[in-house]
Amino acid sequence: MRALLAVVERDFRYFLRYRWWIAGMVSMNLADLFIMALVYARMTNPDVVVDYFVFFAPGLTVTAAFAAAFMIGREVNMELRREVTHYMLSLPIERWKLAAGRVISGGIRGVAYVAPLLATTLAITNAYTGRLPTPPELLTVLAVLSSLCLGTSGLSIALALSTKSFEKYVTARSVVYYALFFCSTVFYPLSLVERVFPPLAIPARLNPVSCGADLSRALLLGWAEPTPFMLVDVLLYALVFGLLAASSYARTTRK
Amino acid sequence: MAPIIRMVGLTKRFGGFTAVDRLDLEVEEGEILGLLGPNGAGKTTTILMLATVLKPTEGTVYIGPYDVTKEADKARRLVGVAFQEPKLLWVDSPWSVLNWHAKVCGLPSGERRRRIRWVLEELGIWDVRFKSAHSLSGGTRKRVEVAKILVQRPKIAIFDEPTAQVDVVGKHKIWGMIRELRDEGSTIILATNELHEADVLSQRIAIMHRGKLLVCDEPRRLKDSIPGGDVVEVSFEGGVPEMVTEELRRIPTVVEVSAARQNQVKIYLNRAEEALPRIAELLLRLGLQAKSMRVSEPSLDDVFAHYTGLTIEEAQRR
Repeated sequence: MRALLAVVERDFRYFLRYRWWIAGMVSMNLADLFIMALVYARMTNPDVVVDYFVFFAPGLTVTAAFAAAFMIGREVNMELRREVTHYMLSLPIERWKLAAGRVISGGIRGVAYVAPLLATTLAITNAYTGRLPTPPELLTVLAVLSSLCLGTSGLSIALALSTKSFEKYVTARSVVYYALFFCSTVFYPLSLVERVFPPLAIPARLNPVSCGADLSRALLLGWAEPTPFMLVDVLLYALVFGLLAASSYARTTRK
Repeated sequence: MAPIIRMVGLTKRFGGFTAVDRLDLEVEEGEILGLLGPNGAGKTTTILMLATVLKPTEGTVYIGPYDVTKEADKARRLVGVAFQEPKLLWVDSPWSVLNWHAKVCGLPSGERRRRIRWVLEELGIWDVRFKSAHSLSGGTRKRVEVAKILVQRPKIAIFDEPTAQVDVVGKHKIWGMIRELRDEGSTIILATNELHEADVLSQRIAIMHRGKLLVCDEPRRLKDSIPGGDVVEVSFEGGVPEMVTEELRRIPTVVEVSAARQNQVKIYLNRAEEALPRIAELLLRLGLQAKSMRVSEPSLDDVFAHYTGLTIEEAQRR
């Protein structure tokens, strides 16, 4: 277990090395919220979204968690290109522990990154609704964000280990980003997707990013009832991509 | 004593290219085995299979009692590898690299700090321990790579070109520390294309070329295996009498005798150390006074050339 913790600690230490960059990214996320979302709030039809600014805040938190957890993949791909992966695979640690350590650290990075944004979201939703989530509600939101980060970390590692080419990796990453965010309810509600892009309604409903965003909205804003499906969907996402990352590490040894 | 490493028909193919071709080799516990060969000989691929980083296409390796194709996790616990290219990320410092490596290897905190300090001081990189890798010279980065294994002190330590880019003083330091590691009971595999390094460190040398193992033996015996590999040059006060060359040819280990100059003969022979007393005795018997005698033995390059028909530089270029 000590080796697994060492893997987590190393990746998290690397993450903290970029603290100024992270601070810049968080500022940009906040600018998205306070500039873009405020402007959009004045442009959107209140029949579709009551207040886009408040609607977008939990979505942004999920977006940021996803992006931060995805960062681990960039490092794993760089390690693959520089053959640091050979070193990692030669360490006296079981492969599953190595993979689990990396997936967990990616997840922790996401949660750490999202903390200031979640605090901002809580302040906004509190100001708007006058309510604060109960401790179980807050814990559920944290569990959902953590699971989303774990799944995303696994997805990014699996993607990173699939190619040595940086260009291919970046392209694949962009495709995943756009597919998961476009077919989601992060930026617009499901009712709008059903009306405007009917074929995308089912993917948007199943998308764990949507489930994460909608569950956060339900618990923080009380706009809708949280459903067990949302939680199960996000947990399954974490499990499937966590396992995929582990099998990707195992596969690299068979090449 | 049972070998601690046993390669059985070890083969690795990448598509149609065979990087390692049916390697059968055993390494005794506590020995230093040199893997010698030009770039592309298959040394690094062999090492990666020993470290369970690559899976063999055919055959296997037993690390202690563990078959790497079946019990890779257990096999890996016995092995530590210092890679040819330092495996550092640019944001790392020597201290953090070694501290993390030791932590993953399970060294307790106090012991970890003690060993890291000792190795960094011995290798002369204590002063740069907190500098990031991108500001270090190639030689220093290489020392950090080697230091990982000197801190870990695994049962089987594998060094892939451990002194490439390292200065002469550093080379001798690293060689000394590798010997110390062996003296403590570790088995060492030293992959190198540096002939002198293989010669001074290895108890046995396995020569590889194009993925195949050509020969494996003690350096002395490898050199002796070249017919007429030793050369004795004898210079005389006057000219060289005809009968001397005839008499010299009668000595059993002499392969060839040629008159290099008017007053000098070159004797090509095996095991010069055994033949020298007989040559001296012959010259004394014939009443000839030798002005000088010079003995040279074949180098490992000659051994490599003998088995491949190429010098190691030529093989490198191909």
